[in-house]
Amino acid sequence: MTAASALPGAGNTLVVAGRHLTWSELSGGRGETEAGNLADPPPVAAHLVADNCGAVVAVAAHLRGGAETLLATAARVDEAMAAELRRDGFALVRPGGTVPPTVTRPPEPGRLWLLTSGSTGRPKRVAHSLASLTTVTGKQPARRWLCPYSPGAYAWWQVITLSLAHPGQDIVFLEPGDLDDWPDVALAEGVSAVSGTPTFWRQALWRAGPTVAALPLAQLTLGGEPVDQAILDRLGELFPRARISWIYASSEAGATIAVHDGRAGFPVGWLDRDVPGRARLRVADGELLIESPWGASGMTGLIRTGDQVEIVGDRVHIVGRQATDEINVGGSKASAAAVRAVLLDHPDVAWAAVRGRRAPLVGQVVVADVVLRAPVGEAALTRWCAQRLPDYAVPRRVRVLDSIPIKETLKSDV
Amino acid sequence: MSLLTRNDIRGLMAEVVAAQGKRLPDDDGALLRDIGFRSLDFSELALRVEDDIGHELNFDAPGLRQIASVGDVLEFLDSLQRM
Repeated sequence: MTAASALPGAGNTLVVAGRHLTWSELSGGRGETEAGNLADPPPVAAHLVADNCGAVVAVAAHLRGGAETLLATAARVDEAMAAELRRDGFALVRPGGTVPPTVTRPPEPGRLWLLTSGSTGRPKRVAHSLASLTTVTGKQPARRWLCPYSPGAYAWWQVITLSLAHPGQDIVFLEPGDLDDWPDVALAEGVSAVSGTPTFWRQALWRAGPTVAALPLAQLTLGGEPVDQAILDRLGELFPRARISWIYASSEAGATIAVHDGRAGFPVGWLDRDVPGRARLRVADGELLIESPWGASGMTGLIRTGDQVEIVGDRVHIVGRQATDEINVGGSKASAAAVRAVLLDHPDVAWAAVRGRRAPLVGQVVVADVVLRAPVGEAALTRWCAQRLPDYAVPRRVRVLDSIPIKETLKSDV
Repeated sequence: MSLLTRNDIRGLMAEVVAAQGKRLPDDDGALLRDIGFRSLDFSELALRVEDDIGHELNFDAPGLRQIASVGDVLEFLDSLQRM
């Protein structure tokens, strides 16, 4: 493994929990107490972190000697998954201490594991390495990036690897609780580049437009959701001299499409072309297929993305998802099946249907119809869900029906 | 359907907050940050307003704004429903 101090970005500054330190200093041990003693990390480690502080310490440990690393927020890993990880040879490194694996095995050197939302809502492991996550090449202008992403997410790793691989790429980390106040944080820290979902940008303009407009931004990046022309135009008006980019990326295919021309979608001319070092893009039956040089391990050939596309004029637009139970709430993916299961676990719920409903700012929110066995209020059901689901997956409207709706097919409408 | 009064919107906002076991302060100057009223909560409130007035709110209206307090939210939604 390579120590952080030997990497091109060793001198880049990280601002985490209000403290300023470099990759090199971090690698030297500063800040390690946040996530326990990582001077000698387990050879196969699942770092289940509470915040970015723990996450960057885990990165430094991986660089220094952790041969095989999974990094995720602790909230994403329930007890069943924790037990599964231990059976698969992972020691669980948590802020409170390390739990050894139940089965030991040799590490796969350099392997980095990401957790991504599976089709059933249960996170699944995707295999990467620092090399496959480092997708930005060539000389980069100096930037001070705001990183609002959840530690361990693909987009989070994109910012991390950019900073490790290129000098002049500082990172200001944002904790989830500070998300609504990011423009103030960015202004105070002199942030010049921000990456977020279209929803993230819409929320910021809605809540703190004048502060956003005052930011000295040279680079604005959007990803994680389809981008619409309205938000691109709005940002273009506010930052006429900045580069505005839309990135299409997934944990499986990697970052494969980068559009910088201020127009929604990507050029039709990019379909079915072979350019060394670039992804091959194809549309089949209205679905985007990608063969990617940045894909996860084992993802060879054309990957079915599940994203529906529409060709309008000279552009290819991503318009939604193929048949799936995924509800995209501002870039966070809720599983309708998982939400439904939680509702059905309630002793007074006889039946439930869950879907996404178009909503301002976040694109969609989760809503539910229920049939009850005994009276229970909407607020009580919401609290039940809030205790068992991440906030973006909690139904924001619950409608009580008198009876279970039956379609003409005699199937219930779920 | 008819437009909502500012008090009606305040009542809906109180419902959103109450579902989280919290109480909406009487003071319009109370800060959203202090109440823990986040963007998802605002989206839910907007849906409740849409359900009551019977049409979608248009959020694409131009203009920069700073929404930091309960009063800012009430004023913004009140103006949106009239557009």
